[in-house]
Amino acid sequence: MADDAGMKVDEVVDGRGLFCPGPLMELIKSIQLKPVGTVLAVLSTDEGSAKDIPAWIQKVGQEYIKTDKKDGYWEVIVKKIK
Amino acid sequence: MEKVSFVLASDALEKLHAVGLMASVAAMSQMDVRVFVTMNAVTAFRKETIEKKSFRVEGEVGRRLLSKNAPMFYDLLSQGKMMGSLKVFACGMALDLLEEGLDHFHPVFDEVLGVAGFFQHAEGGQILFV
Repeated sequence: MADDAGMKVDEVVDGRGLFCPGPLMELIKSIQLKPVGTVLAVLSTDEGSAKDIPAWIQKVGQEYIKTDKKDGYWEVIVKKIK
Repeated sequence: MEKVSFVLASDALEKLHAVGLMASVAAMSQMDVRVFVTMNAVTAFRKETIEKKSFRVEGEVGRRLLSKNAPMFYDLLSQGKMMGSLKVFACGMALDLLEEGLDHFHPVFDEVLGVAGFFQHAEGGQILFV
């Protein structure tokens, strides 16, 4: 899968429909299992999570790529760098 | 590692949930987290209370937490323990007054502690009272 900017997404974490902090928890579960270099797209219908996830990425030292508002949900792109 | 501790004294579902949220996300954000459950908050962790979902609700958000089947505070704390450094302590005094042992409560508790023991765990970090 590639997003609008052409970045290759290796893993989609679909947290749509989950209450905060559900999407973040799903990302954490997933990122722990993936190798360094994996690009993940987190999908969230929760606006708070769309802001929380970049803050968490910064806090734990992973790479935040971008957040896009889609039709009824947010897509947050993160790269595992350590 | 940054450290934060919560003293959870209220049995109101909204406050229990707020601590569950903050503590679990803090633990998943590489913080060292301690939760000391005391006073009436202890009763919300009874297996019987959880089974019947007979929590004390203060307002609309609490009612919706139940009607929308949101993950409960004990689920959030359990997830925080799995994914980070989070320990949950039951207040020894409250258990003494209730004349109940930990076997009556949700297994999220690590151990029974007194206030001095909690302060030892919380040393060097912020303590938030809820």
